[in-house]
Amino acid sequence: MVAPSRAPLRADRLRAVNDPRPVAVELNADGSPAVITASDGRTVGPSDGKIETVGETWRIDDEWWRKTISRVYWEVILEGGKRVVLFQDLISTEWFMQLP
Amino acid sequence: MSRSSTSSLAACVWIPLFPLRCEEARHEGLAVYPTALLAPDTTRKLWQVSSLARHAGVKPGMTVSQAIGLCPTLRLLEPDPVHYDDCFASLLSALNEVSPVVEPGDLGLVYVGTDGLEGIFGRPDRILAAIREAVRPSGRPTIRLGWGQGKFVAWVAASRSKPDDAIIVPVGTEQAFLASQPISVLPLDSDTHRRLRQLGIRSLGALAALPEEAVTAQFGALGRRLWRLAAGRIAEPVEGRIAPEPIVAALTFFTPVGERELLAHALDQLIARALKAPRRIGWRVHAVRLRADLEGTSSWLATILLKDATADAERIGAPLKTRLEQSPPTGGVERLVLEFTAFAPGTSELQLFARDAQAAARAGQQRALQSAAREIRMRVKRAALYHVIEVQPWSRLPERRYALIDYEP
Repeated sequence: MVAPSRAPLRADRLRAVNDPRPVAVELNADGSPAVITASDGRTVGPSDGKIETVGETWRIDDEWWRKTISRVYWEVILEGGKRVVLFQDLISTEWFMQLP
Repeated sequence: MSRSSTSSLAACVWIPLFPLRCEEARHEGLAVYPTALLAPDTTRKLWQVSSLARHAGVKPGMTVSQAIGLCPTLRLLEPDPVHYDDCFASLLSALNEVSPVVEPGDLGLVYVGTDGLEGIFGRPDRILAAIREAVRPSGRPTIRLGWGQGKFVAWVAASRSKPDDAIIVPVGTEQAFLASQPISVLPLDSDTHRRLRQLGIRSLGALAALPEEAVTAQFGALGRRLWRLAAGRIAEPVEGRIAPEPIVAALTFFTPVGERELLAHALDQLIARALKAPRRIGWRVHAVRLRADLEGTSSWLATILLKDATADAERIGAPLKTRLEQSPPTGGVERLVLEFTAFAPGTSELQLFARDAQAAARAGQQRALQSAAREIRMRVKRAALYHVIEVQPWSRLPERRYALIDYEP
């Protein structure tokens, strides 16, 4: 007979690329990020996470109808030249790092 | 992949407003409110309306604002066609416990072949009692049953029975039973129905009293069929089909997706994956179902019967993409599931394909790629090859822009 249409399925899933990576951030007196320390034990960059230049900063508030996203982003260049994006989740206050 | 059996004696199981009944079974207490289901397309009009809502003047096809204006307490529900499909599949499965010959019709309508069941259950009323008993655990109180020779007589009997009741048409009395029934029980379009009424024909008896040639001259081949049904000259048997287990490919999105390009891309991936299923080899695909679980409890469903069975991904995907364009899901898609549900034997198209030199070269490369992928998988013990695909390249959230999907050469 006709099998139930929600029969067990092969669990195929899209995997996210560039998932945010949790980090700890030391701030300057003006509130801008100064040093990034990895929370997962991996290295952040070639310079112990010291930030050389802080570039653009922007804020995103979105998806209030689903699960609110509220973040402040910082585009920074680490000592040694690596460019990364940092953001602070304004709901959990945690910091994350990802590629631009 | 399929075989069939038939039965001339038929029981018809009819549950009017099946989707609405599924919602009432799912939401306790809903039945005491005037309720309406929205159409499963983008028109946002009413599809099915409960009897309480009908009493307030609400009708199918109305806009939401019209309906609320007439009935401020109306409860509106988003359609969940996948859920109704599941409920219907469980109904078929329950009926299959009574008879091996079960033929599904529209949602909520099933024909059960009863040839030979008298040896197990006894008289037709006992057979119908067994059917009612099989269906009851699923909590469907408004079942209507009919029994007779052929599907049409059984359908007319079920459609004329009261809720939770049955009409049995003994063999040999079909013509007398049909003669008094209204013409609305015939499978008519509204235009033919109007024309018949204009001619003063209001019952099957009145239609059958006319010469068959005259009805054929007026209404063509359809008229001939209608006349024969009305006169009880056709007794179509129930055709039970043992459906093959569908070939299924599914994709779960990590965030609900509304972009049609992405859905179309995901569909291509699913078709390619389903075509590679070992059970599909040697068979062409004849029927496809695409379903989407949407945010919340609603869903979207498209069922396509391909005119010509095929194993070509583009020809399978084209009608589904057209449906996605013309009647897209009404919310963000959380999960997309593709099913090949019917098949036809393969043809020589594969051999013809192999004769082409370029195709043969491509096939060789493909085999080498498959072999390499297999070796990698054996070494690292997991799928390690992925495609990078664009998900929402315009997203302000970097992690939403691209994703990895398993690469299976």
